[in-house]
Amino acid sequence: VSAAKHDRMTPWALLRSQWLLLLAAGLLLVAVATDPAKAQQSLVSALHLFVYIIPLLLAVMGLVGLILVWISPDLVARLLGREGGFRSLLLAAACGMILIGPAYLIFPLLAAVQRQGARWAVIGTVLTTYAVKIQMIPLEAGYLGWRFSLVRTVLTLALAIPAGLLLEWIVERGAPPPAAASREKEAALQRTVR
Amino acid sequence: LFSVGFLYLAVILAVYLVAGRISPDKTCQSLRVARSSLWRVLPLLVAVFTLIGLFQTFFPPEIIKDWLGETSGKTSLLVGGLAGALAIGPPLAAFPLAGSLLDAGAWPPAIAAFIVSWISVGVISLPFEASVFGSRFALARNTLAFLSSLLIGLLAGSFL
Repeated sequence: VSAAKHDRMTPWALLRSQWLLLLAAGLLLVAVATDPAKAQQSLVSALHLFVYIIPLLLAVMGLVGLILVWISPDLVARLLGREGGFRSLLLAAACGMILIGPAYLIFPLLAAVQRQGARWAVIGTVLTTYAVKIQMIPLEAGYLGWRFSLVRTVLTLALAIPAGLLLEWIVERGAPPPAAASREKEAALQRTVR
Repeated sequence: LFSVGFLYLAVILAVYLVAGRISPDKTCQSLRVARSSLWRVLPLLVAVFTLIGLFQTFFPPEIIKDWLGETSGKTSLLVGGLAGALAIGPPLAAFPLAGSLLDAGAWPPAIAAFIVSWISVGVISLPFEASVFGSRFALARNTLAFLSSLLIGLLAGSFL
């Protein structure tokens, strides 16, 4: 949503930009009407969650600011774009395993990296290996057994890069890809035609 | 997570201090970008937290446990994946739940699908993801993550 849109906020624009918030408020009202005690309980747990997340949220937004201003798109493209080749996907897989916090906090961060030139497959791979937490494997094994959690971890990692590439293919089929990407795709198409 | 958050915040603040020495202009610009993206995300996050709070209260883990406990075999794989997709919360909350289900004799592939889908598929946060990345990306990613959680579950079953 651009700043210009915020200046003249018609009801329709408000609905379009804040529909999620309105939906949440509506559901909350329904909850209050049906079960006030439970509704209060859910507000308390939402508030609790919010307070817990504040330091991490500020850190993530600070990082977004740093990335968008200080890191040159060239560098991002070289490390995490198509130029990075397979290495960029491996880097993405490693990053996903060590990033912490709930996924919805990572979304704005990854969106910033993508805007600076990272390919979609990198974003997809990070979000897939996000399901593996190196520091949590011992905990997981404590509850589920080493065999179970190791098998799950290895399988998740093995699927991460193919899933990321498939996701990129789906996303770019819908939106016109950047010039370099479309040239690459045309070349690949011609190869298959031959 | 709270203390880890402060640790990360301290690291970022230190980077900002160093950056301020190098180029005050660019650092101010970084702060402006950070503030504007915070304002953009904040109403969405408030909405997501409200939804999470409502969900956790009206669909507590016990209900999910009942769903998974009642089914068996192939159906439980699908139920596990779906329950994981709906559920939201830290993985730390998923593990004890999954552990008790395994002990109760649940089918391991269904539990593997449940955990992977819990962590990587988010129906509740889907609208938020769509507004950050675009709806095509969000839908495709969640669908793929759901399918691969089922696949990982099945494959895990043949290895265990």
